Amino acid sequence: MTTVQSPVPASAAPVSGRARGAGARGAAWLRVAGGLLAVLGALLPWATFVLNEGPYPEKATLQFFVAPLGLTGFRLHLALLGLAAILVSVRAVRGRARIVRALGWGIVATSLVNGLYITVEGGGLGAITASGGSAAFGAVVALIGGAFAAAGAVGGGIEPLPVREWRMPWWAEWLLLLVLFGLLLLVVSAVLTSGGQGGVVNPYAGAVFLSFLAAAGGAFAALHASGLLTWLAAVAERHRVFSIVVLLVMALLLPLTGAGTEYWMTVAANIGVYAATAIGLNIVVGLAGLLDLGYVAFLGIGAFVAANLSGAAASEIGIRLPFPLVMIISAVVAGLFGAVVGSPTLRVRGDYLAIVTLAFGEIFVRSAQNNIGGLTGGANAIPNIPQVSAFGTAFNESIAIGAVTLPAGVLYYVLIVLLVAVVMLVFGNLKNSRLGRAWIAIREDEDAARAMGIRTGPIKILAFLIGATLAGLAGAFFAHKTAVVAYDSFRFLESVTLLAAVILGGMGTIPGAVFGASILFVLPEKLREFADYRLLLFGLALVVIMRFRPQGIIPDRHRRTELAPVTAQDPPPAKGAEA
Amino acid sequence: MSRKRAVVATAAVLAGALVLTACGTNRSETGGTAGGSCDTSKGTLVIGMIAPLSGGLSALGLGMRNSAELAVDQANQKCTVPGYRLAFQAEDDQATAQIAGQAATKLSSDPNVVGVVGTLNSSTSQSVQPILAGKKIVQVSPANTNPTLTLGEAPTTDPKRPFPGYFRVATTDLVQGPFAAQYMVQKAGKKNIAVIDDGKTYGAGLAEQFAKEATRLGATIVAREKVGEKDTDFSGVIAKIRPLNPDAVYYGGEYPVAGPLSAQLAGAGLAIPLMGGDGIVDADFVSLGGRPGDLATNVGAPAESLPSATAFIADYEAAGFAEEFSAYGVLTYDVTNVIINALAKVADGGAFDDAKRQELIDAVQQTSLDGANGKVAFDQYGDTTNMLLTIYSVEGSDFAPVETGTFRSS
Amino acid sequence: MLPTLLSQVANGLVLGSLIGLIALGYTMVYGIIQLINFAHGEIFMVGAYGGLAALTYLLPAAIANQWYLALPIALVAGAVIAALVAVAAERFAYRPLRDAPRLAPLITALGVSVALQEAVRVFYPDATAALPFPSIFIEGTLEIPVPGGTVPIKYAGILLALVSLALAAGLQVFVDRSRTGRAMRATAQDRDIARLMGIDPDRVIVLTFLIGGALAGVGGVLYGGYLNNINIDMGFQNGIFAFTAAVLGGIGSIRGAVVGGLAIGLVKSLGGQYLPGGTAYDYVWIFVVLIVVLVFRPQGFFGETERVRA
Repeated sequence: MTTVQSPVPASAAPVSGRARGAGARGAAWLRVAGGLLAVLGALLPWATFVLNEGPYPEKATLQFFVAPLGLTGFRLHLALLGLAAILVSVRAVRGRARIVRALGWGIVATSLVNGLYITVEGGGLGAITASGGSAAFGAVVALIGGAFAAAGAVGGGIEPLPVREWRMPWWAEWLLLLVLFGLLLLVVSAVLTSGGQGGVVNPYAGAVFLSFLAAAGGAFAALHASGLLTWLAAVAERHRVFSIVVLLVMALLLPLTGAGTEYWMTVAANIGVYAATAIGLNIVVGLAGLLDLGYVAFLGIGAFVAANLSGAAASEIGIRLPFPLVMIISAVVAGLFGAVVGSPTLRVRGDYLAIVTLAFGEIFVRSAQNNIGGLTGGANAIPNIPQVSAFGTAFNESIAIGAVTLPAGVLYYVLIVLLVAVVMLVFGNLKNSRLGRAWIAIREDEDAARAMGIRTGPIKILAFLIGATLAGLAGAFFAHKTAVVAYDSFRFLESVTLLAAVILGGMGTIPGAVFGASILFVLPEKLREFADYRLLLFGLALVVIMRFRPQGIIPDRHRRTELAPVTAQDPPPAKGAEA
Repeated sequence: MSRKRAVVATAAVLAGALVLTACGTNRSETGGTAGGSCDTSKGTLVIGMIAPLSGGLSALGLGMRNSAELAVDQANQKCTVPGYRLAFQAEDDQATAQIAGQAATKLSSDPNVVGVVGTLNSSTSQSVQPILAGKKIVQVSPANTNPTLTLGEAPTTDPKRPFPGYFRVATTDLVQGPFAAQYMVQKAGKKNIAVIDDGKTYGAGLAEQFAKEATRLGATIVAREKVGEKDTDFSGVIAKIRPLNPDAVYYGGEYPVAGPLSAQLAGAGLAIPLMGGDGIVDADFVSLGGRPGDLATNVGAPAESLPSATAFIADYEAAGFAEEFSAYGVLTYDVTNVIINALAKVADGGAFDDAKRQELIDAVQQTSLDGANGKVAFDQYGDTTNMLLTIYSVEGSDFAPVETGTFRSS
Repeated sequence: MLPTLLSQVANGLVLGSLIGLIALGYTMVYGIIQLINFAHGEIFMVGAYGGLAALTYLLPAAIANQWYLALPIALVAGAVIAALVAVAAERFAYRPLRDAPRLAPLITALGVSVALQEAVRVFYPDATAALPFPSIFIEGTLEIPVPGGTVPIKYAGILLALVSLALAAGLQVFVDRSRTGRAMRATAQDRDIARLMGIDPDRVIVLTFLIGGALAGVGGVLYGGYLNNINIDMGFQNGIFAFTAAVLGGIGSIRGAVVGGLAIGLVKSLGGQYLPGGTAYDYVWIFVVLIVVLVFRPQGFFGETERVRA
């Protein structure tokens, strides 16, 4: 989970310091009224009748909440957001207008998601207004409330983002971070499990998930608006090593939370594969500035090498090496291919290079499809790759430690978390090394870099080599986890997805690629009911993100200025606290 | 940010739908769970499906989804499974192995899921099989053709069944390819055959087995070429085989390529018949350029001769699905009924629990069903015993059956 | 063997001239705003579906069956729809990013490409699989006698090649001679200076997208009429080839785009015939040639100097 920025452009001119008189008082009343309406909306019924697929969750159908403490789900979220809006409105809090604006937008988004969903499922606006003698205006009231709050906040003038510079003793800050990251773990788990696993038992899983996202987004935006998030990020930055260790531990604790199911372990393992690969790509694209459009081929090469050395019956080689050795060999082979693919960089630059990499990617897919050298299984793929096992336990089994039974696939999860951690470590060290600085110099201006004495050729090839090595590592994992390696897992669209993960998360940053990969995998999993439109939304999302936030969600501090639109008023500071 | 964007994008799509629906409701009197008058006291059991519901292969996948849904709805109306309401849950595999694995894990971690219909692609089945096998969930595919899925790594020399809970009703390449070769060489008297495929599991396997049998029967394979599965222009391949004077072309692949390929063959002066497998048996083959005299093999007896098939087609149309049932609809309907009938047998004796999963697999193994596509039964490997195949030929605007026969490996 | 060789050459030239026509759009857009407009291949595809829609839903069968009536109408429909989509993409997706770092618009272009392809798949009736495309020219095949046999070329293929080359030649003249063409060249060289000279760069850029889109739309309709089937993937595949052609010929050069297109067409057809691996590897050969050319002549056949951008 991370901050969700409100997309509203900060168009309102800063008017702090000016007397506003009646207008300001009106805006204050509007804010309070908005909060009240949101709470009222949460208490009103939302659907006029039981929808055909089953009753809408959180007792939305024709139920007044006489017991306000019994609110659950999205109604609880709305009530909390509304109460927060009221509280902040009547108290003098720094960054008040920004906070209320964020809360208002959260309320709007939450009520829109639920209202629209009921409307569409119910076959028309009658479902959320009045129909058949019953009335249910919860959605409308809450929506108006949110709009009021946001309008009241903007109308009262938006002050600059507050900066907080509290300092605490180191042990207090450590404790704070511990609690913070613990909460983060719970939020991640809540996001993953919100709405349940969906399917027939729970037809509204997608809506519940979106609603949760909207509410959580509003809450995070409010936190950010209060300046707390920035401050927390600064605290985490002060205790960098501690934060990283705690985050790693928290990531390893995920199987103990509600998300500790076999399903989420599998999804998380796949996210990890793509995250590790995306970090590798981040070296090539984010640091060295060399656009690679065929990157997934290295994942494929690693996977095919691992498949051939796994003892799978379909592989031509038919030997079985221990998994750690297989990983190393996969990484080395992929790295060598990376150097080969990177070698044209000596002569080809910029977009031409992008096309060369695209060409390599296509050559790889075609060759794999045609079973080149008998190594890829061709159209039949290489199936039944044995599971990784250690100490007699296959990694896809569930394990019991004492009284705790961990879900199946948890060992794969642990393995991929450690793998991603290693990859992150490599990336982080490289980035701040002499080599990393050379890459960044080449990215900024290759000729100037050369003039400064950087041997650009070998260094560029090194970027491809190291990036491909990381992808190859992930590929070896991928082969065993998926149990089959087929050419059609490595098509151009996968390369685009990887690139999108890097860009979406934020180029050149460590958490960025992981975060981007998580979003690109979790969203389609949670929204399987919209599968028809998956790619359409993916394409549109790329366009919209580039339009409004080309620097990604977690922008690199150095890079921020470069990718941010020139007109951006307040480039948000780095938020380094994501797993 | 992107989440918010996704919310906005979704909202935009929903809002679009809203404009179309105006201010009304679709309130139905029953409101909520269907089930009617059946006894559903023991709860809900879920039949899952894994198929490509998005992307390029979604036409086939959505047809499968609808057909399975139809079978489940009918079972609920007829109270086929005593004490249980059946539910149907289709998951998208995006036609890739790792997403199929996720879908399989999602289904298999739900204790109510009793069986899975699917997948479409053989490569996705390869990742689904071990996951479902781990939970003893029965899987029946209407479409997988790769012989190794049931026969192990050495299908012809040393067949070994890798997954006892996996069944399929699609005939493997080992049946359909040779059957086509026998017809083409022995009955139609073609001696110089060009073999083309699309490089996918289904097409490449089919073409390979066809070529093997045709060579064995004394024909000459004059060319062995590949086209891209998404190509529209086949002039290169055609110019290459033209001087070799083939008297027939065998194409391993599906109708979107086969139709235009046939038309372009004729356009280049090669007025020779094109033959394919069940993947080209579709009226669209002809509208895309399939010519009278083009041939195809299909599994089972012709639909018109089976009353159950016409009943399926009528029911499917009555159900008002947005998509056509397409190539695998009929078989999907059958395999869904295979699972349902086996479940009915198993659930008759008491509540369904994990201990009954093996019983369910055994019940599927002993299936004997008169399905919409003919008789369904399984051999010791989980393959269909229905060796009945029909040769079709294009007449007018669609395929018409020429002859029905039983495959014998000679 | 001679008829086979000549047939493959003919196939290569027909495909190549189409690739060249699409490549014009890439090369013009890249020349002016240095954007790899990945969505351009999809514009070509949208043009084909636009033409098909006009033929199926707009025209009464009596008109659609007369090729001399159907052809111009389909061409105009395809060109207009493709041009509109291209201009809309420029206006709403690319223009806001004009001053952004160069990766941003490239990602946007990938997004537009995916979205356009999916939009057609989801919203055009039955577009999930290949659709038949009616004949819009004299049907049949011209059999050219050569020693040892004949070389067959469809009349529609000849039309496709001739129209493509004529349009490219026309574009060359337009860019060389007309006032607008001069404005385009000026904008390509230096947008700011062009602005000082009284040229409205926005207008020029819109015009570039418009022309490129219309040419691609014409190509889509002619290609559909030549092969009598279209699918939603034809844009991506031919788009990659066309971009390759544009790079081969030297980005920014109209002549280069056409020569590059013909080279790609010939490599595909002759490579599938004579090179090891045959038709299974014909795509691979195209990309191998691309890599080799770029490594040894990075500016392409007609490119002037290597553009220094990273």
